[in-house]
Amino acid sequence: MVRASGMAGWLCVALAGVVGCGDRPAELADATAVVVLGQEPALPIPTVGTGTGNQEVSDLLFLRLADMGPALNPSDTAAFQPRLARTWVRRDSLTLAFVLEPRARWHDGQPVIAQDVVWSMERARDPRIAPILAALLRQVTAVAAEGDTAVAVRFARPYLEQLYDATQHVQVLPGHLLSGIAPESLATAPFASAPIGSGPYRWVQRVSGQYVELAAVPEHFLGSPQVRRLLIRSASDPEARFNLLLGGQADGLDNIVPPLANLDRLGANPALRTILTPSLTVGYVLFNQRSRGDRSRPHPILGDVEVRRALIEALDREAINQAVFGSYSRVPVGPVSQALWIGGVERRAAPVDTAAARRRLAARGWSDRDGDGVLDRAGRSLTLTISIPSTSAARRQIAVIAQEQWRRLGLRVEVSALDFPVFIARRSAGDFDMDISSATQDPSPLGLVQSWSCAGVGGSNVGGYCNPRVDSLIARARFARTDPRPIWDDVVATIEGDAPAAFLYAPAYVTALHRRFEDVELRPNSWWSAIWRWRVVPEVSRTAEAAER
Amino acid sequence: MTGWLLRRGLQAVATFAAVTILLFVVMRLTPGDPLAELTAEKPVTAAQTAALRQRYGIDQPIGRQLTAFLAGAWRGDLGPSIKYGRPVVHLIAERLPASFLLGGAALLLNFTLGTWLGVVQAVRRGSWIDRTLTVLALAAYAMPSFWLGIMLANQVGIEWRLLPPAAMRDPYLAGAGPLVQALDVLRHLVLPAVTLSVVSIAVTMRYQRTALLEVFRLDYVRTARAKGLSERRVIWRHAWRTAVFPILTLLGLWIPILVTGSVFVEAVFSWPGLGALATEAIGGRDYPLILGTTMLVSALVILGNLAADLGYYLLDPRVRRP
Repeated sequence: MVRASGMAGWLCVALAGVVGCGDRPAELADATAVVVLGQEPALPIPTVGTGTGNQEVSDLLFLRLADMGPALNPSDTAAFQPRLARTWVRRDSLTLAFVLEPRARWHDGQPVIAQDVVWSMERARDPRIAPILAALLRQVTAVAAEGDTAVAVRFARPYLEQLYDATQHVQVLPGHLLSGIAPESLATAPFASAPIGSGPYRWVQRVSGQYVELAAVPEHFLGSPQVRRLLIRSASDPEARFNLLLGGQADGLDNIVPPLANLDRLGANPALRTILTPSLTVGYVLFNQRSRGDRSRPHPILGDVEVRRALIEALDREAINQAVFGSYSRVPVGPVSQALWIGGVERRAAPVDTAAARRRLAARGWSDRDGDGVLDRAGRSLTLTISIPSTSAARRQIAVIAQEQWRRLGLRVEVSALDFPVFIARRSAGDFDMDISSATQDPSPLGLVQSWSCAGVGGSNVGGYCNPRVDSLIARARFARTDPRPIWDDVVATIEGDAPAAFLYAPAYVTALHRRFEDVELRPNSWWSAIWRWRVVPEVSRTAEAAER
Repeated sequence: MTGWLLRRGLQAVATFAAVTILLFVVMRLTPGDPLAELTAEKPVTAAQTAALRQRYGIDQPIGRQLTAFLAGAWRGDLGPSIKYGRPVVHLIAERLPASFLLGGAALLLNFTLGTWLGVVQAVRRGSWIDRTLTVLALAAYAMPSFWLGIMLANQVGIEWRLLPPAAMRDPYLAGAGPLVQALDVLRHLVLPAVTLSVVSIAVTMRYQRTALLEVFRLDYVRTARAKGLSERRVIWRHAWRTAVFPILTLLGLWIPILVTGSVFVEAVFSWPGLGALATEAIGGRDYPLILGTTMLVSALVILGNLAADLGYYLLDPRVRRP
């Protein structure tokens, strides 16, 4: 056993040695920011890589012509901030002309020129390359370079969001490097391993499955970032992401609630603080209005608007928000997230009223004739299934609470937790009664057309909701020449009245961040894209400040 | 030997081809939308979805997809990942080193500690050491690795701050010297490797103990002792050589760990290996990536078994007899 204890002793010594060698230089830490994402940015090239991970990194590498103002209102042209375009002017109701910033350079030193913008726009408008972008840009009819420093964008019709369409959907790519590469080869080209952009950060390296490293571009025309080195880590497991933060391996993590318990764990770490930002997320129980087996027929229960209204009336949505998100979420009126600008007017969702809901159902012939606690009509019991993706703990929690609230009404609900791709496949096929959906909205309310208009049926409108009045209102809002807010109010009120879904939650995102960062701006459409404007307060200064206090 | 190797090699190739086709068919019969991650929570039209299906070739009949896949695989091209957009072969190649490191460390711990503790138990049969190790082995075997992983990450990584609770390296140290970086990886490796190997060490211990006790009863061991050889020599040079065969079989079965690790352990510790990649692929029905990772695992299982058979062939003369 002497040998045994000897081996154990060596193991202990080796372990102690390994444990004791984790110090990192403080001067490195001050100038560096480490943020954690849920998706790996494996291909952060616009129109090639997809997903939020790629988007976050590509937003730091590749600039647009202009950015929306902090209110994220695509119609508010005065709030747009110059990026690659120094100025722009409306030539006529169909043409916008942009003058490029002469100091803008690609990270390889070449100037950003009008031909780069045209090449990028044409690429984005090609449905074979970027089907989703091409649809968003369908009102753009032509993009032309005027010399090296100006670009004119022409539209099919006059409308308020022309500037938004011309600037927000397309990040400008270096045409001088990419024009010779076939679109299908870009993902494997050397450019994909070391992209060259024009943003305030340049590419350093990607360590697969671990992190992407970016470095600040000194003397960038937008200003020199104080965060000189940016490390973007990825971890798909939410617990691992949070552990990286608590273990001092990361400085920032967005969307830490739910679960609410994370706030208590975070509170024990004095180096971190929380920042609240409205999000573009909205969650709802979607009612399938078409029959599961035959989409040409209405759903035998949910096809009745009065039943849907009763189901909404019986839900205590405030209680659901409180249980899952605490005070960080509110009940939306219609499909309107907190950051969507048309939600600015304060409206209140209808309060819970189970008795009124019962009366509404009774008027439609639903009552508990056999005394089993479940309402029935013509031999059919009021039983429905609610589908949720098994990966979402929050939606599982919501489903269980809603199940209990509806039980009190006399509705029997079975919760079906499905593998995420199965959940999506069944939604797309219309094979569900109800599901808990979560949508990340575009900043433009025109995105509502996909899920809440007759035109969206067959696409994202899987519940089969169709009200021609909504379609007509959205068309009016799209081409309005004046403030479209009253029209959007009408759209939202009409959708709310038709009860295609029980709109449950519109959360604000809680971001945890190290205290050494100040003047922090987080943008709901691209969380970390304004990091180049943050101020860094070194450890020494913060310690001195704390001592003074 | 050449004939034997050729026969076993051909069998392995045939098995691999059959498994690949089976994997493809089973995967395509599994319900779920491979575009889920691309289109979920983003409003898209039917035409946009159709364009995406065309881009990834999943609008084609299954037979044509299989033919195209096999033709590509023959050229070493497994297509692009739907989720990542990058070639599957590149993604796998990038993740292999991390998987080999974690799997190799776990296998090393398993084989060395498991064998050594099993031998200690057999030699001290019935003693308090044997009884204690038996209880510990059962406890380790019964312990779910996901629970152990979460506990270790929280207690050792966050509460005590002794070791990093997740990831494979500290990116702050990216510019540091090779020794500092190697030690940094080692620090990150400890918790996942321990979590991953605890159960397998317990299994190896039990197998080794039983095998050695059986060998101790054989005549040639008694003869070795009667000849006056030292106990150490009897155990390690005579008895253990015979008792190691069940461990070889076990090792052959553990070899896929080299690439897959424990899927859960990789997720909990955010270890950038193939296990995590495969989990994400399956969770998103990323067909090309699922096929790439599962084909690799199948190849390793087949190769592991082939290696175990070869080990038997070389070490045990009885296997070589016609």
